[in-house]
Amino acid sequence: MGQRPVLRLEWGERAGQACLRVSRAGTNGPIDAEQLRVYPTDVAASGTAGLPPMTGRRGTDGNGAWFVPRFGFMPGTSYTVVCEGDAASLDRPAAPGEPTTTVLAIYPSTPALPRNHLRVYVHFSAPMSEGCALAHVHVRDAATREELAGALLETTEELWDRERRRLTLLFDPGRIKRGLVPQRQAGYPLVPGRPVELLVDAGFRDALGLPLAAGSVRTYDVGPDLRGHVDPASWALRPPEVGTRAPLVVDFDRPLDHGLLVHSLSVTGPDGARVPGVIGAGPEERSWAFAPARPWAPGAYRLDVDHRLEDVAGNSVARVFDRDLSDPCDNPRPEEPARLRFVIA
Amino acid sequence: MTDHGMAVGTPVLESVGPVTFGPGDVLFVADNRRAAVVAIDVADPAPAAAGEPFDLEDLDAKLASYLGCAVKDVSIRDLAVHPRTHNVYLSVMRGSGDAARPVIIRIDRADGTVSALSLDAVAWSEVAITDAPAIDDERLETSLAEGDEGEEMTFGDRTFRIVRAPVRMATVTDLKYVDGTLLVAGLSNEEFASTLRRIPFPFTGDVASTGLEIFHVSHGQWETAAPIRTFVPYQGGTSILASYTCTPLVHFPLGDLQPGAKARGRTVAELGSGNTPLDIVSFTREGEEFLLVSHTSHPLMKIACSDIDGQEPLTEPREPVGVPRQLPELQGIGRMDNLNGDYVLAIQRDERGGRHLRSLKTAGL
Repeated sequence: MGQRPVLRLEWGERAGQACLRVSRAGTNGPIDAEQLRVYPTDVAASGTAGLPPMTGRRGTDGNGAWFVPRFGFMPGTSYTVVCEGDAASLDRPAAPGEPTTTVLAIYPSTPALPRNHLRVYVHFSAPMSEGCALAHVHVRDAATREELAGALLETTEELWDRERRRLTLLFDPGRIKRGLVPQRQAGYPLVPGRPVELLVDAGFRDALGLPLAAGSVRTYDVGPDLRGHVDPASWALRPPEVGTRAPLVVDFDRPLDHGLLVHSLSVTGPDGARVPGVIGAGPEERSWAFAPARPWAPGAYRLDVDHRLEDVAGNSVARVFDRDLSDPCDNPRPEEPARLRFVIA
Repeated sequence: MTDHGMAVGTPVLESVGPVTFGPGDVLFVADNRRAAVVAIDVADPAPAAAGEPFDLEDLDAKLASYLGCAVKDVSIRDLAVHPRTHNVYLSVMRGSGDAARPVIIRIDRADGTVSALSLDAVAWSEVAITDAPAIDDERLETSLAEGDEGEEMTFGDRTFRIVRAPVRMATVTDLKYVDGTLLVAGLSNEEFASTLRRIPFPFTGDVASTGLEIFHVSHGQWETAAPIRTFVPYQGGTSILASYTCTPLVHFPLGDLQPGAKARGRTVAELGSGNTPLDIVSFTREGEEFLLVSHTSHPLMKIACSDIDGQEPLTEPREPVGVPRQLPELQGIGRMDNLNGDYVLAIQRDERGGRHLRSLKTAGL
């Protein structure tokens, strides 16, 4: 494409929207806005034949013309304007700013994962860009730094929370579920005794298009399988003293899923009403704490546990991740809240 | 109000994902950022089309040029062919992050013209795809923050740092319309479960009771309720073939899928490791119905529906297992939809990574 400097391009604004202003350099000849065509320069590098021009509105303004794109200009992208046989290009400035977004946490926060580990959460300090998560989250052999290809499940639609600050990733369930061909061919993604690291690289872009201020890595040992239902009957409750706002602490027999843990437990008071307060997952997701808004009154309390609460291997209160049909212990349990009672005296 | 219980207005999409056509001009669009499905009357002005093929070279470059961005900034999420006009509709995300713009692209089958569907003053309605709330959702959207995240809150003499806990969301992975019902498969961002929603259309707003779980059994020994990734109704909508996140192809009769039910599917094929099914379509040739399955790494696969009916549940783990399948030697096939009685329209990726629209003649498959 010719780049004769006959057209003069500059960035402007029309009614609050970014626009490209086009005029003729050195002359006062008018521009016919109807003849104006705008293309992303890279896309049109080998010619504009067959390419639809960028969609937008155009008009004249004195002797110059303007173009307001329907979907906005992309930061860091060069645009080429073609008009009546002339062409010129102009770069849209890249997004300003220094990288500030960081990884706040990676869950589980345990030092080890079971071989059949299912789910990972990455929490970011700011909203993120979607669409390329698996390019920036890596599971690597901690000793060799070699990437464990195919360990994480590729999904066309990524799993984000509403704020796009928490990313959910799954280890490939086809390699975890027993008996499937992928499991038999490729084996579990994780191997007991071979530590792995989960790396979020700094190239992960936040919602402003900026990379992370720094990458983040968490290293895990790998242990044996985690099987069987999540069993609230095996938990230990540490009731606080009456009249205090000290937290109720519940200790689990295994690490539970961090995402579900903050939604799945609640406390009902002697009057049958839910007790207001704040909750938190304990270290390594092995406990849960609940601090009431008002001091504990004496009486009989109840902890309700959602049957969908899962451990880190996808086993829930109601069912196990892959049920062995020959083992009665794996039989489904009622899909209703499990209830644990405790007394504040 | 217009037909199908839709009102004229401007739907606000934050994202576009899987799409499928319903009755008339109704296009269902999954907006996963908002956890909703939006029904839009696309009012396609083209006349009814006949049975010609349609191909379009350099789809990526054309979309990037029209949308004014680099090819890497164009993310094609899904493809649907208008059943009457055979115009091609693509759900496309242009850019990412705060700059992301969801766009429904219409490609005119007659001349290949690209345009973006205007959402101003269209007939539309929507339904929220929420997960059934956890027992405490209305209250425990806060949790104790770590470090200096969140904000301080004081209860009596105690001060906590509070952060809103992320909300459990369903992400739509596929959706199809059968006789007044929109079938929606989704993945939860917290729970490993197989929930298929049957949502009556016109939308009534109530999807709470529409979920059902579908189990599948591996080799008669292990049973899982895994999320469905992609599926297709066939045999006039009475049967469904679904692919799961853990790869088996599973058949179940639609009649088994009543709200609140727990259905057990029949595993009819296993596809091996390192491969993920991307899309499934059905077509009929000389009175016989077939399914086409596209994959991330396997070539396109053709399965006769009669073989699915005759396939015993798989009990022997070996590869290949399950129904006979043919490989029509087509690589790089991604999203597909029926173009007309003689052709399936597909997005095909070439060796250089460029994508094109290709009509696959069903008689030649």
